[in-house]
Amino acid sequence: MTFLSIMNSTPLYIMVMLGLGFVFLLCVLTLRQAWQRARELGLTREEIMGVVKSSALFCIVPSLSVVVGLFSLQAMIGVPWAWFRLSVVGAVSYELVAADMAATGAGYDSLSALVEANDPNVVGAVMLAMSLGIIGGVVACLLFGKSIQTGMTSFREKSGAWGALVMSCFVMALMAVFAPARSIFMGPVATLTLITSALITIAHRWIIKKFGVKWLSNFVMADALILGMVSAVFWNALLS
Amino acid sequence: MSDKNSYFNRAHRLGRIGALISILFMVGIPIVICVVYDVIPSFNEVITTAVGLLAVYVPTALSEFVSYTPMLGTACYITFITGNVGNMKIPCALNAMEMTDSPLGTERGDTVSAIAVSVSSMVTMAIIALGVVLLVPLQPILQNPTVQVATSFMLPALFGSMVVTNVANNKSGEYRIKNRVLTMLAPMACVIAFHYLVMPINGKEGYTMIATIPLTIALAYIMYRTGIVKVEKEGK
Repeated sequence: MTFLSIMNSTPLYIMVMLGLGFVFLLCVLTLRQAWQRARELGLTREEIMGVVKSSALFCIVPSLSVVVGLFSLQAMIGVPWAWFRLSVVGAVSYELVAADMAATGAGYDSLSALVEANDPNVVGAVMLAMSLGIIGGVVACLLFGKSIQTGMTSFREKSGAWGALVMSCFVMALMAVFAPARSIFMGPVATLTLITSALITIAHRWIIKKFGVKWLSNFVMADALILGMVSAVFWNALLS
Repeated sequence: MSDKNSYFNRAHRLGRIGALISILFMVGIPIVICVVYDVIPSFNEVITTAVGLLAVYVPTALSEFVSYTPMLGTACYITFITGNVGNMKIPCALNAMEMTDSPLGTERGDTVSAIAVSVSSMVTMAIIALGVVLLVPLQPILQNPTVQVATSFMLPALFGSMVVTNVANNKSGEYRIKNRVLTMLAPMACVIAFHYLVMPINGKEGYTMIATIPLTIALAYIMYRTGIVKVEKEGK
């Protein structure tokens, strides 16, 4: 057996499908539990379906970029493990680097060198290293998720107006970091793309308000994302 | 009250069991494969291979956990299990709360976040599975240079929309926050100054968030106490 033949083997496919089946089931159970509670709290079926549609539509394009990552990653570590890594915990940006770092940690110059050597003995070390390196967030959730959520909820309930402002600060901090990080820090094309997407969102909000087309609010984020990305191609061609 | 606690308790129980079993899969799959093919590595080999990764990714994962969990509530489990936190799950959760007028830190906000994140995770998993099935025919399309340019600017396109949505929404539950945008602009100016004058933050956004959250709260407190930012109950 070689490195790649193990990484594309039937037992690995079966194990990965079992794992992904479990995670999918967990999503279904979480959705069902939250849906029931949301209905009890007074959210209408239409409101919840709006969230479902908007989330599903928005995720299609970013998920396609994950599929692009799958193409790159599967050539190096085989299809099933790349599939599992990108569906569970992983993000496209992490996984190639993680696989490369695992390869250098195993004593190879790069991930390509490891694949070229095709040594089956490094399979376990590479797979385990990739898993151990990325599970920090899940372990932290297991240990501290409940205390953070409980603390946030009780703080909000007890602190009135100031509590409401503090809650909004978390989102504002996110914007304060990521708006410049994903625009001016990345260069002029990114900045123009961000501005285009912002203008598309403003136009959508204006149309929704002016003409009362509430259904359009389900598409705001997806439209801004797709049209913003299309504009990036234009800005890139114009500026390069 | 007991009903509410019951939802949170059930959600945490489900999340914790799910997280535990997911960890078992993540670690168990490599172990089973090693046993099946008789290629079991020594403990030292695993540690040597993993040490660089652990040094880089454990602090990154923890910084993401500290920054994002307060925004996710009980949805944190499914979010961290399925990944793509900053580029998919957080935008979905914030968008869902904004759409349904459900503030962060409330049970209503918690449930809609969980709905959005679950749907988002299922869609992503389905599309990746489709990508596996259609690996050969899809490859030339998705690796076309034009598509590559478009996908490399996905995050600017995403944050352009998110900034407008969150700045335009000045509500936080039953409260209306006047001049809310200032609570973003002041720390943003600090982040920009830090990036250009001290060190670039590219790739260190998680760590930057850890410093920016208390800074944003501190600046918001000053603006709140001095009356620059006002928080009023709706209908007042």
